[in-house]
Amino acid sequence: MAASNQSKHNIVYFEEPPTKAPPLLAVGPLAWIRDNLFSSWLDAILTFLGIAFIIAIITTFLQWSIGDANWFAVLFNMRQFMVGRLEVLAEWRVAVLVLIVAFASGLAWAAWSARISRMVIVATAVIIALIFVIPPIISAVVPLPGAYLVAGNQSVSAGSLTQVAQDQLAFVGRSGDKVTFRIADEIAVNDQSLENLFSFSDNLANTLRATAATGLATHVRIDEINALLASEDLTERQRTNLENELGRIEPPLTVTETYSINQLPVLVRVLEGATLEPLAEATLEPGGDVFSVTLPSDGWYVVEKTMAEGEGLAILDTTGIYPILHRSFTRGEELGEGGEVVSEAGRVEQFVRMTDNYVLEAPQPSNNGTDIPYSTIIEFKYRGLRPLGDYLSLFFGPLLAMLSTPVLVIVIAIALGYTAGLLADSLFSPAEKPRKASQQSATWLLIATPALMFILVAGVGDILPLTDPRRWGGLLLTMMLTVVGIIGSFPIGVLLALGRRSSLPVVKLVCTLYIELVRGVPFISVLFMGALLLPLTNPALSEVPGAYRAMIATIIFSAAYLAENVRGGLQSIPPGQEEAAKAIGLNGLQTIMFITLPQALRAVIPALVGMFIGLFKDTSLVAIVGLIDLTGITNAVVAQTEFLGDRREAFLFISIIYFVFSYVMSYVSRRIEASGAGAAMAKRI
Amino acid sequence: MSESLVEQGAVTQMADEPIIFCQNVNKWFGEFHVLRDVSLEVMPKEVVVILGPSGSGKSTFIRCINRLEEHQEGQIIVDGMELTHDVRNIAAIRREIGMVFQQFNLFPHKTVLENITLGPMKVRHWPRDRAEAKAQELLNRVGIPEQAAKYPGQLSGGQQQRVAIARALAMEPKIMLFDEPTSALDPEMIKEVLDVMKELARSGMTMLVVTHEMGFAREVADRVIFFDHGRIVEQGTPDYFFEEAQHERTKLFLSQIL
Ligand SMILES: Nc1ncnc2c1ncn2[C@@H]1O[C@H](COP(=O)(O)OP(=O)(O)OP(=O)(O)O)[C@@H](O)[C@H]1O
Ligand SMILES: [Mg+2]
Repeated sequence: MAASNQSKHNIVYFEEPPTKAPPLLAVGPLAWIRDNLFSSWLDAILTFLGIAFIIAIITTFLQWSIGDANWFAVLFNMRQFMVGRLEVLAEWRVAVLVLIVAFASGLAWAAWSARISRMVIVATAVIIALIFVIPPIISAVVPLPGAYLVAGNQSVSAGSLTQVAQDQLAFVGRSGDKVTFRIADEIAVNDQSLENLFSFSDNLANTLRATAATGLATHVRIDEINALLASEDLTERQRTNLENELGRIEPPLTVTETYSINQLPVLVRVLEGATLEPLAEATLEPGGDVFSVTLPSDGWYVVEKTMAEGEGLAILDTTGIYPILHRSFTRGEELGEGGEVVSEAGRVEQFVRMTDNYVLEAPQPSNNGTDIPYSTIIEFKYRGLRPLGDYLSLFFGPLLAMLSTPVLVIVIAIALGYTAGLLADSLFSPAEKPRKASQQSATWLLIATPALMFILVAGVGDILPLTDPRRWGGLLLTMMLTVVGIIGSFPIGVLLALGRRSSLPVVKLVCTLYIELVRGVPFISVLFMGALLLPLTNPALSEVPGAYRAMIATIIFSAAYLAENVRGGLQSIPPGQEEAAKAIGLNGLQTIMFITLPQALRAVIPALVGMFIGLFKDTSLVAIVGLIDLTGITNAVVAQTEFLGDRREAFLFISIIYFVFSYVMSYVSRRIEASGAGAAMAKRI
Repeated sequence: MSESLVEQGAVTQMADEPIIFCQNVNKWFGEFHVLRDVSLEVMPKEVVVILGPSGSGKSTFIRCINRLEEHQEGQIIVDGMELTHDVRNIAAIRREIGMVFQQFNLFPHKTVLENITLGPMKVRHWPRDRAEAKAQELLNRVGIPEQAAKYPGQLSGGQQQRVAIARALAMEPKIMLFDEPTSALDPEMIKEVLDVMKELARSGMTMLVVTHEMGFAREVADRVIFFDHGRIVEQGTPDYFFEEAQHERTKLFLSQIL
């Protein structure tokens, strides 16, 4: 040690310190929680507030979604949300388009993404199996809620209205369906039980329930006032007020007693819809058994319910009779082999059973020329808070059932694309570029897809009959506007960006003017110009369908923004790149095409995709110029009398659609950024 | 080989015609007179090193030779073609001149192989096979045959600069311009680049090199040129230049860097 005192600045460390495992609290989930969620008091409070907030939102949403929301507004109008009012005969073309896109994504996956792991395959298979298995399980375990229908010949007056029960009611049934009828004794024991008549019920049943409920509430109030009057400490004034109120209140009658509900037998007959031939009949006795009929085939049926004798009312608890939505579409022209019109453009009248979306095109039953009323959605409402079981059997099961086949087919198409990619690679790709074949074919297919989209949706000449662009709608129109907007504005935007950087003053001026003018105007004005002003300049332009004019407006608008983004990218390329390109002898055009533009575009992928996502969502503005894109069709959906007041459900649904597609775009953009030279370029040179 | 050339003394004996001929080249950046009456003749296979303080116009001068900068007065003739505004002449001259930059300027979105084959395929219209064979041969020559499939961002600085040399050579130029090729490199990587350049010089390439590597200048150069304030102040063989330089400015410069 003495030696080191003399030369304490010269030290050699021969011994290496040992490598130790980190202390327990520095790694692992606990450490993560401590460091990220509770690193300080403020953090801890924010964490708790955040969690509380999320829980509050989720529970509120679930309560509303299960108990209250009318998801029929979404389930029923799925076709409109997807394709708007597209001709029925062109539907298969949209399906083909979807399959092509799915195939292309599978191919792209094989070309650019990591190999699908066994985990993903198993998970997908399990999910699909669940989608297929859950609906039947739900319908086996949780029966559909019954419907309460009133039969009888006694009229019910509520306020100024007098209502009578319908003797005949048409409904849609399927072969093998069991329809059951029973006098709902437990409902009509007294007014308290009547007040709890939830589930589907017809208008008259609802009137009875509402009257019972008001009566009960009035009785409660009367009791309350009497209790107050009995007490000593009231001022004179309060006492007179209360007495006055009591005097004004008419003690309500008890509904169950007034109408002698469920006292008499009811004759129930089930008729075949088309012929009105009776299928089965029974007289239901109060306290009696269930009368059930198994339907022989798909189609219309009529139930006839009358008092067998005497005067009275009965509330029937039925199953198998559900509300029906009437809708009509244009079918479109169908051409035969020789180009002759096989079936004319015409209206298709559809009756859709609410609980399972079963579609019937047969005409509504009628009796001597008068239509027999069917159970419409408005007549035949679900009343009261829904229990979970009814939510599952009414919405969740049918939603999955509706999704199952399309999901399966799409997944198969993706898998086919993926397998095709693998196959192509193993057959044709050279060893040093093992994915060349799949990448090339995926690129070509992706390039061709927009053109295919247009051909399939719009139609060409004789082979695919032209569709009416005014009928394009929903997600289809939104996608078309977006895709056409992106593809159309891309070359224009790039040219504008190059033009604005050009050394030729006139070109530069024109490009700058265009960009600044368009950027100074809101999209909505450009749309209005396309929709309203352009036709003024040349009347022929008003013949051009609104969808096309909106596409042009979209292109014009987004080209300007795209140009500025690309220009930013070009500016970020160091001048050395251009010099190096010149030094190896490339000319101006080659330098742009091979050196500066590719790098500039890659550099602005995030900005471009941000812009494209914005464009995708901004297409919703076309609803204002009368197009029925996703937003436009939603406005139309919630304007139907059946779904008035269901704005929340419909808009929530399309928000989810907008979100999913935006997220996919941003995911793809991140993949592109990280692909190829992207990983290496992140480390700038 | 270069030594034997130096021993021969007079460069004019090497070949009859200069491959680069500059006479009274003048250039201004706005008001700033950056090149003043620069005259220089370079013979085929000659290696010329250009020295000079920062801002003296070395880069500007050699960039004038392949027209990355435009001179405003005087004459530059490369391989018998005069540099004018004629675009075809410029293109033809650029095909004959390779250039290596201080900042490498590789194309980051292209692989090493694509960086090298781009010029031959797009400018000389070689088929891909031929361009790739040439590229692989050049990568062997600069000592990194295994890096062909990588992107520039995945290489070290020295490797990148060697790729840049290979890229320039792929066009089979008659002249190579180097603008401080080792200035952006870590000391450990300088040697690998200089070795490639020495090998190139020995193989008989005409080279114009701006550098601060005095060792390289002494060993490889046939002639050293000293720039100051946009003009040539002094030139001579390395032996002369480093031992017997006459001009005050040269002496000051050498005293500062040696
Ligand atoms: N594009 C330009 N515009 C204006 N002035 C310039 C430009 N390029 C270079 N200059 C100026 O010209 C002078 C010569 O520059 P040049 O790059 O040729 O010097 P250099 O000798 O290569 O210096 P260094 O050793 O720092 O690279 C410098 O003063 C520089 O500021
Ligand atoms: Mg320089």
